[in-house]
Amino acid sequence: MDLEVDGILVAAHELKTPLAVLRQLALSFEGANDGDEYIRSEMVKVSERAIRQVNDLTKIRRLEDGLFVMEPVSVRSVCDEVSMELKHLFGYNNRNLSIKYSNRAPLVTANRDLLISVIYNFLSNAIRYSGEGTRAELTVRDSHDKVRVAVRDYGPALPFNLWKEIKSGSIEKPTSVAMRPGSSGLGLYIASKFSRYMNADVGAIRHRDGTSFYVELPISRQASLFV
Amino acid sequence: MIFVIDDDRVMAECMVRACGGEVKVFSDAISAIGAISDGLLPDLIFLDILLDGPDGFTFLNELASYVDTAKIPVVIVSSLDYAKMDLSEYGVVGFLSKEKMIPKEIRDYAKKYAG
Repeated sequence: MDLEVDGILVAAHELKTPLAVLRQLALSFEGANDGDEYIRSEMVKVSERAIRQVNDLTKIRRLEDGLFVMEPVSVRSVCDEVSMELKHLFGYNNRNLSIKYSNRAPLVTANRDLLISVIYNFLSNAIRYSGEGTRAELTVRDSHDKVRVAVRDYGPALPFNLWKEIKSGSIEKPTSVAMRPGSSGLGLYIASKFSRYMNADVGAIRHRDGTSFYVELPISRQASLFV
Repeated sequence: MIFVIDDDRVMAECMVRACGGEVKVFSDAISAIGAISDGLLPDLIFLDILLDGPDGFTFLNELASYVDTAKIPVVIVSSLDYAKMDLSEYGVVGFLSKEKMIPKEIRDYAKKYAG
């Protein structure tokens, strides 16, 4: 593993405790008035998102140990869970999320936690980069012998060099994305690492008015027979 | 009485606020064991695992070694995931994730075992 990346992962591990303490502190202010309650609830949500990202980073170190079990996973239930969790954030940022399921194969071979993180990162990116008042689209459909989960945003188009890097299937480091201010490329890096572990492919489609990021997961054919 | 054993002072304070009632805080396992040896028997213990000095598992082992302490209910409070481990023979009655727990869960344990 790249030393610089390894350093980031060690630092992430150290951040877990203070973030958990911050969240707990915010939760301790129970019985606040309406205005304070809003601030308290935002503090909890912000720290929970930070904890999630830190946890994702610490998981990257554990990928090498192969500790994440691959099993039949229902794509729709994962998408439902993640979109439900982020629904508030879409609303708060004045964005809409449309969801369309057209996959016939219900189960894929994946690790549920890792897949949740991949879709969470795609959707978080869409919130950040879709313009105010616009929407993001989450679609799930069959794609040959795989199921494709795609998130389409209406933000700046993806730079060609990054698109090529994603297409080649290897993102070795978080790289900030020019034309997408504030981007560290961390979400995409995490999604790429987790997808590779699950034998899934990450890809991106450049649109004139945005980008679609997708992950294609192998269908779990035998388990699907019993659904 | 409830014991909170956690080396993070602020986290311990949050636990105290959530518990209500009489709570004693210890930042390490040795001082908690010392208090028990002095005759202070808690109704419930909230225990962090990664502590300065002996860890939470050493503490659990010590508790399980004596008849009068073996049955003290313990709730593990940690950032690491021990939820799938069966530690009931050490008196562990529950697990709380530091990253996900809410005050009500802490309070529910406090009411159930020390209310």
